[in-house]
Amino acid sequence: MEKGRRGVGQRLAGVFHRLAPPPQWVLPVTLLLGVGAGLAAMTFHVSRASSYLSDNPQTCVNCHVMAPQYATWSYSRHRETATCNDCHVPHDNKLRHYAFKASDGARHAFMFTFRLEPQVIRIHEAGQRVVQENCIRCHDATVHNTRLDEVAGDARAEHGEGLRCWACHRETPHGRVRGLASVPYEHVPLPGSVTPSWLRNLMQRNTAQPVSGR
Amino acid sequence: MNLAELTRRKPWVAWLLFAGTAVVVFLIGMFGASIIERRGESATAGVPIRQLPEFEPRNAVWGEQFRRQFESYLMTLDTSFQSKHGGSARRDMLEQHPEKVVLWAGYAFARDYNQIRGHYYAVRDVHESLRTNVDQPATCWTCKSTDVPRLMNEYGVADFYSQTWRDLGDEVVNPIGCQDCHDPATMRLRITRPALIEAFDRMGRDINRASHQEMRSLVCAQCHVEYFFRPEDNYLVFPWDDGITAEAQEQYLDRVGHTDWVHAVSRAPMIKVQHPDWELYQTGIHAYRGVACADCHMPYRREGGVKFTNHHIQSPLANVAESCMTCHGGTEEEMVRRVNDSQDRIYELRRQAERSLAMLHIEAGAAWQAGATEAEMQPILRLIRQAQWRWDWIAASHGAAAHSPVESGRLLGNSIALAGEGRLQLARVLSRLNVQQPVPMPEWDKASLQAFIGLDMGAQRNQKQAFLADTLQRWYQSAGHVQPGPTDYVPRVRQP
Repeated sequence: MEKGRRGVGQRLAGVFHRLAPPPQWVLPVTLLLGVGAGLAAMTFHVSRASSYLSDNPQTCVNCHVMAPQYATWSYSRHRETATCNDCHVPHDNKLRHYAFKASDGARHAFMFTFRLEPQVIRIHEAGQRVVQENCIRCHDATVHNTRLDEVAGDARAEHGEGLRCWACHRETPHGRVRGLASVPYEHVPLPGSVTPSWLRNLMQRNTAQPVSGR
Repeated sequence: MNLAELTRRKPWVAWLLFAGTAVVVFLIGMFGASIIERRGESATAGVPIRQLPEFEPRNAVWGEQFRRQFESYLMTLDTSFQSKHGGSARRDMLEQHPEKVVLWAGYAFARDYNQIRGHYYAVRDVHESLRTNVDQPATCWTCKSTDVPRLMNEYGVADFYSQTWRDLGDEVVNPIGCQDCHDPATMRLRITRPALIEAFDRMGRDINRASHQEMRSLVCAQCHVEYFFRPEDNYLVFPWDDGITAEAQEQYLDRVGHTDWVHAVSRAPMIKVQHPDWELYQTGIHAYRGVACADCHMPYRREGGVKFTNHHIQSPLANVAESCMTCHGGTEEEMVRRVNDSQDRIYELRRQAERSLAMLHIEAGAAWQAGATEAEMQPILRLIRQAQWRWDWIAASHGAAAHSPVESGRLLGNSIALAGEGRLQLARVLSRLNVQQPVPMPEWDKASLQAFIGLDMGAQRNQKQAFLADTLQRWYQSAGHVQPGPTDYVPRVRQP
């Protein structure tokens, strides 16, 4: 064990030694690496990448696309008890939780970056299954007497039969009118300017206040 | 061997590392720039770059600042969509329902009547229609162009109406667009046509108190309504003083003694219905639920972080997912099938009314020829006027069967009953005049019927060709205006 660990350490040191620049190049290489790292940090910052590790629903309107979904949720009873992730990400084990979140998140980021998002956003099959699981996860006490398998079992759904909770509870929690028309003037906490406020103030000292968009 | 040694021995490795790093940094930079840009786009959307003047008729000038709205508006040039009964493709309605030639005998509609195309064609369609072979008043331009508010401001409203259509031919160039519905300073919806404001005033309603959701229908109601030109001065009037239903409008028009034309075959005093879309819509379930015209005909779209109204005004059937399915459950196919079923049923009734009314006109013509008297024809001519008013209310209304199927069915049912009553009374008159055999009917196709009512279509077409080749070109020159985009413009992208 002791020997193995030293082995790994030595190997790492070896790799580092092989990659290291000659002494006279250390300073410029360090500076250039700093440029690259700074750029990466900037991208990390403006994309609010850290927020994707959280459960904060505001994260879901970072790209504005989900604004109607956010607004309808924020006017629903579920706002008090459930975040987006409570319903839309599995909670049965940590591994599945993060795997699902990562794959869904990566897909959304990809679609938005390359402008592939459809006009009509529909939840996909895997997502539906997760939401159904989560309905039952919290409302277990209400539904434990209901013969759920008869009406809403996954086995049935896979054969195109059966119903999911929202076949009846249609307005929970996003309302019956779906899509962009549901909340024409939604006010959602969209991410603000990427410029820090002190810099904005400095620049605006001599110019008029610009009109802020939604 | 370390990297330093490697690069000393093989300098190309260093260059490779340099290039690779440059590419990575470049991509990270692009990604960062994209994120910043996408975060900024919604903040700048809808913020005017510079002030638009009060009367800017050119839609492209507005479009410089509101490109999403303008580009979708340009899609009204698309004439490729055809639903079962409507759409934006040109259809010859006289060919499809030839009875209409008889119903409008003596009126310009018997010459030419097509399925409407998009707003962008508004001015061009007026130029090309055979109906404008007749000298029309300038009032005809009221709903066709963004130049109208400018001209009304220059001449005054009454003086605008009192001119002829030809007087303003070189002034009216830009098709229906931005200026007609939007305030150039705030982009808020506004009413630019006096007739709607005046009609609201006479009904005791203040249009300035309309909510934004109501305005999303009322800007359409500036034109998509029933109207008539007051005979003494061609002033545009909506006949809403007694209410907006078909019967209330008829009562008002009877009260003021309005007649659009005397029928060439039956000699009945007729009223032509324009397109009471807004009024008919008020009787339907969607209006009851507070759905506005724009909700279905101009649903919201999203482009990245920016939400905007789709200005490609068109049949919701061309875009079921974004219009109907916002509220309706089920599948798109089911939705289209249900709309088509409803339309099929209503239009079956409309066809019955058309045939019955056309025969009534022809039989009345035969009665006059056999020597019928004014006195005995009077009640029959009144029935013709009433029956055709009800039929036309639905026939002229765009998308009637979707806007209000029950009211459409009611009016068509009444039309058929009134026409039946007319034919019954006429049978007694014909019997008294010793016309014992059924009145012979012409062939039911457009060309035969146009010949039957005495229209020389060849002359009509020649007159139009001369107008397009000569007068119209002079108008364009005088307007300092190149002929607007090609007629057969096909947009490259079709929106879903």
